[in-house]
Amino acid sequence: MDKRELITELKTIVTPYAQDPEALDNIGEDTDFIKDLKINSANLVDVVLDVEEKFGIEIDNDSMAKMLTVKAAIEIIEDKLAGVDRK
Amino acid sequence: MLIGNDLVDLRQAAADSNWQRKGYLGKIYTPEEQAMILEAAEPSVMVWLLWTMKEAAYKAVNRMTAIRSYSPQSFLCSGLVTNGSRATAIVSHHESMIFIKSEISSRMVHSAAALKKEDLEELTLSYMDNSADYRADFNRSSPGYFLTKSSTGLPLMIHHPTGCKLIASVSHHGKYVAIVYSGSLLSAD
Repeated sequence: MDKRELITELKTIVTPYAQDPEALDNIGEDTDFIKDLKINSANLVDVVLDVEEKFGIEIDNDSMAKMLTVKAAIEIIEDKLAGVDRK
Repeated sequence: MLIGNDLVDLRQAAADSNWQRKGYLGKIYTPEEQAMILEAAEPSVMVWLLWTMKEAAYKAVNRMTAIRSYSPQSFLCSGLVTNGSRATAIVSHHESMIFIKSEISSRMVHSAAALKKEDLEELTLSYMDNSADYRADFNRSSPGYFLTKSSTGLPLMIHHPTGCKLIASVSHHGKYVAIVYSGSLLSAD
């Protein structure tokens, strides 16, 4: 799955939680889940759980700590799918 | 500087979050905290009380370090004491201890955090209706105080009679806004 496909998947996942429709339309690698999409921080857990379910991966606490942007989410998903544990 | 706060509108939270979703509690709470939730008389209130404590502590730490991170499990609630609608606790984060005082009602939960226990005593708390004009509403109803933003975008309270810039923290959720400010902590902004 390439980056564009991953962004499309992420967009589907965050749509129910995003509170800024314009930022959601313009979602890209640099999009910040909280600052741009205005996702409530309590719903960021749902994003993490949805990503885990969608991709069949487990996002540990260290990875979750970094998952504030689309870019970080893509890196985490790619690493977990590749079985890499990037520290 | 060193305070933070967080508010949860309980009705909004019930609409937006399903904390009973599989895996949800485990991402945020330690096993000890999960036990506190499950043993509480009102588990959903305890979910959001502990959440506001962690968030308020995170905001206080983030204001000092400017490091963003999403790691609720690294903010550990302990020593919870509840007394009617009030609660106190300590949140530990790595080597730091953050002191918390909270208010619980049927409509909302609010926590304020400070890095020194005595700073907590100096905090003034105002609840407002959440609207685009909450700052103007606050300023109209709080003679002598003027809530604005610093050059870096952080909340700043100006005490008109003295011209002092006081450290402030604002949290909004659902129908409510909570504004806390310190009578003794001067803002560096």
